[in-house]
Amino acid sequence: MPLRTVKKDTSNSLSLEWILQIKKYKLELDKNRCTGCVICSLACPKEAIKTERLPKHQGEKARKPKVDVDLSKCNFCGICDILCPYGAIKLSIDGQHVLSVVDKKSFPTLTRDIQTNSKKFPANPKQAEEACPLKLITASYSTTDGKTVQDLASLLEPQRSWVSLNVKIDKEHCPCCTVCESKLPQGAVQVRKFLSGKITINQPKCPQGCTDCLDVCPITGALYLSDQDGKVHTNETFCVYCGACKMVCPVDGALELKRTRINHSPVRSGAWNKALERLTSPIDMTKELKTKGSLRARESVKRRMRLEEEQVA
Amino acid sequence: MPRKTSRKKPATAKKPRKRAEKKKALPKLEGPRIGVFVCQCGSNISSVIDVDALTKYAQTLPNVVHAENMNYPCSHQGQEKVKAAIKNNKLDRVVVAGCSPRLYEPTFQTCVSQADLNPWLFEMANIREFASYVHKNAPAEANEKARDTLRMAVAKARLLEPLKPLELPMTKKVMVLGGGISGINAALDLADMGFKVYVVEKTETIGGYMALLDKTFPTLDCSICIEGPKMVDVSRHPNIEIISYAEVLKVDGNVGNFKVRVRKNPRYVIAANCTGCGECRDACPIEYPNYADMYLGVRKAISPPYGQAVPLTHTINRDYCIECFKCVDACGAREAINFDQKPEEVELNVGAIIVSIGYDMYNPKDLEWTGYGKYTNVFTALEFERLILAAGPTGGKVVRASDGEKPHSIAFIQCVGSRDVNHYEYCSSFCCMYTLKHAVMLKEKYRDAIEVYVFFNDMRSNFKGYEEFYNRAKKGGVKFVRVKLENRRITEDPKTNNLTVCGETEEGQPVSANVEMVVLANAAIPQTTANELSRLLGISLGKDGFFVECQPKIRPTDTAVPGIFLSGACQGLKDIPYCVAQGSAAAAQAASVLSKDSWSVEPIVAKVNEDLCSGCRVCESACGYKAINVEKVGEKSIAKVAEGLCRGCGICSSACPMDAVTMPNYSDKQIVAQIEAVMEKKVKSK
Repeated sequence: MPLRTVKKDTSNSLSLEWILQIKKYKLELDKNRCTGCVICSLACPKEAIKTERLPKHQGEKARKPKVDVDLSKCNFCGICDILCPYGAIKLSIDGQHVLSVVDKKSFPTLTRDIQTNSKKFPANPKQAEEACPLKLITASYSTTDGKTVQDLASLLEPQRSWVSLNVKIDKEHCPCCTVCESKLPQGAVQVRKFLSGKITINQPKCPQGCTDCLDVCPITGALYLSDQDGKVHTNETFCVYCGACKMVCPVDGALELKRTRINHSPVRSGAWNKALERLTSPIDMTKELKTKGSLRARESVKRRMRLEEEQVA
Repeated sequence: MPRKTSRKKPATAKKPRKRAEKKKALPKLEGPRIGVFVCQCGSNISSVIDVDALTKYAQTLPNVVHAENMNYPCSHQGQEKVKAAIKNNKLDRVVVAGCSPRLYEPTFQTCVSQADLNPWLFEMANIREFASYVHKNAPAEANEKARDTLRMAVAKARLLEPLKPLELPMTKKVMVLGGGISGINAALDLADMGFKVYVVEKTETIGGYMALLDKTFPTLDCSICIEGPKMVDVSRHPNIEIISYAEVLKVDGNVGNFKVRVRKNPRYVIAANCTGCGECRDACPIEYPNYADMYLGVRKAISPPYGQAVPLTHTINRDYCIECFKCVDACGAREAINFDQKPEEVELNVGAIIVSIGYDMYNPKDLEWTGYGKYTNVFTALEFERLILAAGPTGGKVVRASDGEKPHSIAFIQCVGSRDVNHYEYCSSFCCMYTLKHAVMLKEKYRDAIEVYVFFNDMRSNFKGYEEFYNRAKKGGVKFVRVKLENRRITEDPKTNNLTVCGETEEGQPVSANVEMVVLANAAIPQTTANELSRLLGISLGKDGFFVECQPKIRPTDTAVPGIFLSGACQGLKDIPYCVAQGSAAAAQAASVLSKDSWSVEPIVAKVNEDLCSGCRVCESACGYKAINVEKVGEKSIAKVAEGLCRGCGICSSACPMDAVTMPNYSDKQIVAQIEAVMEKKVKSK
């Protein structure tokens, strides 16, 4: 059987495949999770991913940009999988989610730092689930004998202590917007964003009545329509700096977005430096390299000092 | 136009006359002394042509001082007679009226030179092919034509000039183009003889197809085990330089002095520093489908195509590399990796070239009836070869692509694309035998656990040990089904991915077999680069796309271009031992050229009168051999002839508007004399 390359584009997903006799590579884009931000296109080392703006129909909401992957350029490295803030792209080899760039330390993973404290969760698990704009939290109370409790308030005081909370946060798809942190009781969830940056709307340029950016933003509250001037404003507390809004903004310069830092596992890799430079800026990339450099220098000094101490001893 | 003729009298022509004057034995005659020898050629000529009458007629022609007819002047006895006649009659021109100069001109040139006559003072009149053969039913006209032909030859002979052979310098180096098994043998032979050899290989490694095979028929030797040591020998030979991952851009010059421009493609790995340890390969996170595994398996973005590759220098495939530089870290102090490497061009100066670029495999995707590319369990033979190979992607397990299970039945389909007038008319020559090899290997490994069918039309097992191997397959229980090449069909059961092979016997009876895997013996086809190379080297391709040899029976390794030789499957498909033998044959041919201190060629090459040449380049565009080029000489542009490349066709001479180019012994004056002789009247020149 010769090498087969397959590309399937449906309304829900885009999938690319290399089918070899001994291995099957598959890259799948979940179009429901994809927001059309350009992170994958920017990060792709082979420039195989193109993000294309779709025309807006009269009287309708703005549409998410369309992501297309060139099968002849894609090398199934999985960098897009790693960097997608929404976990919309998945690479699998023979059905297993395998990322050899991570295994071989050629690329870092994003640090999705999410802590939960079940004691501080609300009495109603529904409330916890609704706190996530992307519906990534599942929570339920169950008794020691395994029965699910709908509402903690319906139980009497002694029974409450026998009940335990099961919280599951789908970290893989979480962009760490911190909306849950503000919606749930303080201390219930603690989230650290992995993308930092700056988003501003240049109000004089922003056209009145246009809500295109708001239409595509998946995070409720990151952008909002002001009652006072009828224009869209930003709320940096929740913004994840994915850039979907900037992609659809019809006016050049009306919406400025800059990523400055990406929280990731430690790595030393040219591919990462390139991706970082494209996603942030050459200056921010250099900053990270410098920090790494000084860290390494400090470590090596420490090592040497210890060696000298040992020799003295 | 050729003023030389009138002014300068040939040296050899003067001598006998002086002597004649002294001895006064022969009557004094103005102009040259021509001898005519009419050949009877058994009955080939004499049955139609009245040779006695023709001889008498020859005596009447001006300047003919001697004419005789004889049977076979080309024979030893005949040649002695010619020599004697030259001496006795003080002849200074010789005309033989006989057969084609293509066959016997060299013979007679040697003969006259032995009688101290310049070989270019000899002329042939072809009264066999031109008269007795073609007009045997009209003897009167045939005789007239013979007289005309002879008269023309004598007219030209009168104006012949003595010439000196051209001596071209010889570069004692050779380029072998293509490092397959045939090229390897040619290179090793020549290197052992002491010549410097450049092996220029397109891919990353030498070895060719043989290095990808599991076993060789009929002995079932491990292919790489017998080729591997030879590959290593090539890399270690002090006289051989392998230039792999390279392509030929330009070829200039001629035998003895070819200038070949070669581009080395960047591997992004410095060959001198790379030890082939493979640490970079282990560090690399990226894989891509491996051609050497027929895309059944993968290789790393930095890797050699296979473990026995020669040279083992790794190559980075920048189409897939993500530039994480983990390989650079892994390589460490060896510092063999250089991402800034650029293509490098080198110029090789060689005396001879051996072309051994091998063949390619036909992709049976175009043949819809095979279902190749559509049905997962349909393989080509080379894919199957990688499947049964122990070092292959499946570790030697013959498994189906659809479910990874070992098949219980396999059908081999012969002549897929070859012996098909709509695709490749020729027989691919080795498919029958490798199919027998696959069938025997499967049967001897799995015995009754596997059914093996071979759907064939003719079984071609016509070399040493091959028929016996066919018998071994038959005895081993392989089922041979003879079918017509038309109306074959393969269909798939979409549920089980099993296949049904249908065909028709010669009598038109339908036959079919249900199998779990199908292997196609797809046609071997000319290399994709053959066209480009034929243009670069000026050697021609046949209708089938393979290079044309000079003479198919007795000069199978020569091309029409002196100094360029053919070796292996690029000349015509052949099996390993014959590729090896032809490699050695081509090496011997090349050595016979290279061992000379200079290469002498016939002096029938264009001569430019520099005073007349205006540098208009008409000749340059007319020449089909890139042999005449306008160059700047001081202030003037003048056409210069590359004497080794000139084939003496004369097109430049007739194209030149200034009459500045002449062909020795094909001058306007000589040709006009021939025309006047045949027309029996004066004609106007040009």
